[in-house]
Amino acid sequence: MLSKVAVVEAAMMPGPESAENYLTQVYRICREVLDKAGITKDEVGTVVSASSDVFHGGISCANAYYWDAGAAFLKNASRQDGESLLALFYGIMRILSGRYETALVLGLCKGTENPDNDLITHFYTDPFYQRQLGLNETFAAGLQMRMYMDRYGITEEQCAKVVVKNLGNALRNPYAHVKKKVTVEEVLNSKPVLEPLKEMECAPKSEGFVALLLASEEKSKKLTDKPVWIKGFGSSMDTFYLGDRNLLNGHLNKAAKQAYDRAGITDPRREIDLVELTEPYAFQELLWTEELGFCDRGEGGKLIDSGITQWSGGLPVNPSGGVLATNPYVSRGLYRAAEVVLQIRGQAGERQVDKKVKTGLAHGTHGFAGQFHAVAILGS
Amino acid sequence: MEKHFHVREHEVWLPYRFSVGPVFHRFYQGLKEGKILGNRCPKCGKVLVPPRSFCPDCYVDMTDWVETAQEGELVSWVLGRKEFFGMPMDPPFIGALIRLDRTDCNFLHLVGGFDLDQKENLKKLRTGIRVKAVWRDDKKGHFLDIQYFQPI
Amino acid sequence: MGRAVAVIGTGQTRHGMRSEVTYPDLIREAVLAAFQDAGITPDDIDGVVSGTMPSMMEGVALTHFYFADALRSVGKPILKTETCGSTGVSLAITGYYWVASGLADVVLVVGSEKMHEGDSQATMTTVAEPLYQRFFISGAPGAFGMQSKLWLQRYNVPEDKARDAAAKVSVDHHKSGLLNPYAHIRKEYSMEDVKNAPVIVYPVRLLDVCPNSDGACAVIMACEEKAKKICSKPAWIKGVGYAGEEYWIGDSDKVVWESAVKSASEAYKMAGISNPRQELDVAEIYNPFTFQELLYYECFGFCDFGTACDYTLKGTFARGGELPCDPSGGVLCTNPIGATGLIRCAEAALQVSGKAGERQIEGAELALAHAMGGIIQFNGVMILGSKL
Repeated sequence: MLSKVAVVEAAMMPGPESAENYLTQVYRICREVLDKAGITKDEVGTVVSASSDVFHGGISCANAYYWDAGAAFLKNASRQDGESLLALFYGIMRILSGRYETALVLGLCKGTENPDNDLITHFYTDPFYQRQLGLNETFAAGLQMRMYMDRYGITEEQCAKVVVKNLGNALRNPYAHVKKKVTVEEVLNSKPVLEPLKEMECAPKSEGFVALLLASEEKSKKLTDKPVWIKGFGSSMDTFYLGDRNLLNGHLNKAAKQAYDRAGITDPRREIDLVELTEPYAFQELLWTEELGFCDRGEGGKLIDSGITQWSGGLPVNPSGGVLATNPYVSRGLYRAAEVVLQIRGQAGERQVDKKVKTGLAHGTHGFAGQFHAVAILGS
Repeated sequence: MEKHFHVREHEVWLPYRFSVGPVFHRFYQGLKEGKILGNRCPKCGKVLVPPRSFCPDCYVDMTDWVETAQEGELVSWVLGRKEFFGMPMDPPFIGALIRLDRTDCNFLHLVGGFDLDQKENLKKLRTGIRVKAVWRDDKKGHFLDIQYFQPI
Repeated sequence: MGRAVAVIGTGQTRHGMRSEVTYPDLIREAVLAAFQDAGITPDDIDGVVSGTMPSMMEGVALTHFYFADALRSVGKPILKTETCGSTGVSLAITGYYWVASGLADVVLVVGSEKMHEGDSQATMTTVAEPLYQRFFISGAPGAFGMQSKLWLQRYNVPEDKARDAAAKVSVDHHKSGLLNPYAHIRKEYSMEDVKNAPVIVYPVRLLDVCPNSDGACAVIMACEEKAKKICSKPAWIKGVGYAGEEYWIGDSDKVVWESAVKSASEAYKMAGISNPRQELDVAEIYNPFTFQELLYYECFGFCDFGTACDYTLKGTFARGGELPCDPSGGVLCTNPIGATGLIRCAEAALQVSGKAGERQIEGAELALAHAMGGIIQFNGVMILGSKL
């Protein structure tokens, strides 16, 4: 599977609330990516969009709503619910099946139109048990965070450092939603949400319209002189009941292994140049870096202390600001991929890291305490 | 003059009727009687609580019913002081994962029975302390028939 | 051009009113049946595709979490495909592309619905966005009723001829349902019963429409190499087609229904079919409304536009006719929406591999499966055959 599908173009919209309506935004992001690639809507073979009915204005069958706005009129197209990296994976499959040369992959989420993410994620629960206890993603994350700190001695300061880094990185990102210089002190003093989680450690609720144009090996060469190849990808699902799971050893490393194996990566710390991961709760960045193999188990705190994951460090993590800066729930995974694409192509503007980026990792997760993870490796 | 677009507010209400099935039905009956029921997988022997219709690992019917212990170890907890949709009780509350003795999974429930506003009380909460179920008098066949698990 | 893919096993629940089981248990029933039919274990599966109707209909959001264990997807990659009513066929199409791409050898595809837990018409009303169309839409029957009237007028089909033809569709399919142990409605009706049933939205009456069913369907797909090794009679996926129209209902022609015409012709092209009525042995059409099925006969090229009623009244599309449609009883007997399109694929697979029991059409070798979704917006078609 190595190097047979590439991203030839990417476009994204900013995270803060827009007065524009949903359909117009869908149209505009498709228009932008098609224009950038110099390709017409009719020339695009297929479209795979990602959206979730509950994560925008209470319209069911969301794909019906935006079908034609999303460049799919009379096309054989489809849609993934929940995780936008799945739209990327399905788009890749459609091209590798040999039936399409190009695929438009979309992540569509107008966060300002949906209720609180906590309200929505509460409904992931089964109606008989976990719903009665009020479980939602923040509740589950809080339980996971305490276990993480207890087991490995991760400190609250180390978790807070993630917020400082990412919101600071976001200052260089014109698309970011929340961007500011904060101190560890300010993070620690922010209002407790579900202790040990504090307000500033929890992601906001943002808008997110993102589009990637994929093409087969041959077609990529015609469309761009800077294709970014999908080297590998993987995903994995954990068991449902929170109490049945090992919250400190979930399925991220399974998803990553599948991606690494496909990409031929054996030493991620050395072979990956840049990481964009999904960290809706600050401590999760530390935990995910362990599961991704960038440091040993329990060493996530030491990793951020070392400075290596800073924007100017040897292994930048979330130079875009990550999800703590911009959180369009459904499309955030695809935003990570788009950011990696821009970094590899040297098109990330002010947030472009100094070191040369040849290989990047994009990660998405959703579900209680990361029940599901998806990982993609992209390279020049 | 600044351009201003309108915002339209909208609420959607939808009704549901969920099938409880025999397993949760029996579990709720157990709660009414002040019992915590679980069941055991005939293949791997794991005891899960609340009970399941099938073992998630082995995918076989879970047939052996067990009355589990009402005491166990505190695995993790969160403390909430702010209201949120669907919360199990008014704040402040402590949501927790508890490993009931001789079971093979963590049980999601609440910890309580002391003044949550007293810092010294909160300091006593640590991973591994023992907790015990405290029941309500009027039981309805709901998880909150157990009022909370109290540190012992 | 990608690898060949076959269906090597299917499983269905007893569809109907299944309040005695929880939703995950319903799914497990179908999944167990599929593994048994295929003779493989979950370890042999490389990935799982699942989907249902929107979260609003389920009462649980992002059901792939809740169903993870019932789907046997723990430790596996998943894809979650949802395209409203056409979900069932979109699920099958997803499984097809996954295996055809070479990224999986064996994939489990599961569609499910527990209609009795949600309010389907209320949910359908939320398909219409709240700024314009929601004020006017009256659930699915409203739109379909309008479509039928347009069609009759365009081709000058006398109303009573159309009424008779639609009634015959209902009578024939309900009769077929008696041969299908999985069907929800297993009751025979006469032409008079159908023509005199209570009106829902004129001209559509109660026996012209599908029931609300709980049900799940699981289909296992494999690449050529594995299919030949594991399965004695694989049902090969010969053609795939899908199309969606604009969201605004008035924009497209719904009589010469573009997405229906296009999805069928795309699938025919891939399968090398030029004369569908002659070449197909069975068609499992997604027909929640009798009148709409008549329109599908025309859009799928089974007969010229305006002639479906004549052919239907002649018996062309009945069990003993030239092209039996919905020998399973179809959607008029069973409609767990998220599963329905996949059930069409499963039934088509069963037909071409000679495993359709009492409802088997003798000698069936090439079959069409179809699903429709949205408010007359999406159509998907899959062709399955006994020969590679």
